[in-house]
Amino acid sequence: MNRNYFILTLIMLVLAAGTFFIPKKSMQQQVKPSKLLWEIIQPTRYVSTDQVAKMIIQKDPSLELIDVRSADEYARFSLPNTINIPLDSIVNENSMDYFGIPGTNVVFFSNDAIKADEAWVLTRRLGFNATYVMKGGLNRWIETIIQPKEPAEESPRTAFETYEFRKGAQLYFTGAKVETTTAKKAKVVIRRKKKKVVASGGC
Amino acid sequence: MGPLFPNGLISGDWNLVIAVFIGIAFGFLLEASGFSSSRNLAGVFYGYNFVVLRVFFTAVIVAMVGLLYFNYFGWLDLSKIFILPTFLPSMIVGGVVMGLGFIIGGFCPGTSFTAIVIGKLDALVFAVGLFIGIFLFAEVFPFIEHFYYSGNLGNVTLTDVTGISASWWAFGFTVIALAAFWASWLIEKKVRKRIKEYKF
Repeated sequence: MNRNYFILTLIMLVLAAGTFFIPKKSMQQQVKPSKLLWEIIQPTRYVSTDQVAKMIIQKDPSLELIDVRSADEYARFSLPNTINIPLDSIVNENSMDYFGIPGTNVVFFSNDAIKADEAWVLTRRLGFNATYVMKGGLNRWIETIIQPKEPAEESPRTAFETYEFRKGAQLYFTGAKVETTTAKKAKVVIRRKKKKVVASGGC
Repeated sequence: MGPLFPNGLISGDWNLVIAVFIGIAFGFLLEASGFSSSRNLAGVFYGYNFVVLRVFFTAVIVAMVGLLYFNYFGWLDLSKIFILPTFLPSMIVGGVVMGLGFIIGGFCPGTSFTAIVIGKLDALVFAVGLFIGIFLFAEVFPFIEHFYYSGNLGNVTLTDVTGISASWWAFGFTVIALAAFWASWLIEKKVRKRIKEYKF
């Protein structure tokens, strides 16, 4: 038998034994701190309540809403088609399945944006892309979508357009009735001109 | 870095193109290792030629140990690779059927095509039988579907099932494989008169 076969056998054995000394790395690699910090200050990680409302109304299939409040709060009120993952269980193994699905945009929200922000940072650190925070949370949602305020008269046209959209969205989400004018119909009075009496008689 | 497709380093459209090149390489290596000869293939069963055992065991241990190092160097994320689901009863039956066919026909599906390429008629007959077999299987599939999908263990690895770490499996397989190389070599030397030792 060739000597080289002995050498090959030895090399293979050493290599296989070497795998015992490979340190176990944590399964999830985290995003670099500098990158995370840079991303935190980007305004693009926020979506406005208007954008969320629009996506819900249009039934956008890429939207994945995640409510990070507690289960009690979630049971009381939440947005339609929402998944409830309380903040303390967001990095559980079961919750991981909801993130990083290709073609979906995860939007976190809570009452304000603080808990949602924390959830965003946690998932972003784990390397999940396409996660967003609903700016202002449910408080802003109530202010803007459920009880929109009419802009002042001198506001720009876009403000009125937003307001119009919000009024529509309000109808969609609350089922409020369209305000109709209550003024009664003006009664139509038909006045007939009297026929002129033909002068009779002569001069 | 890897796996290349899930990490988006190569777009999914290249799947088929790359598959063609891997297929060519696979066929070439099968033929180069002598797998297009049914004497070599069935030799393991009759105990006079162990080239199949050596080639496959080499592939297994090199891949096993290599992947563990790749994972360590960060070239391939082992948590992201696809693992075929395990159906225990149907896999055992399938293995028996495959083994029988291997001994009777003298080829496995892949090697029969490499043998056709070098012009073997028996391989051509084997390949025709292969397609008849596929057709028959498809026809009776509704009757055996329940069994086919029974005993699903999911996408598990040996480490998941046994709790023994991957390094131990790799080391164990390497020791077994190397022992098998030497043992089969000694057997071959006794059984065969004309034996050629490859020098490198």
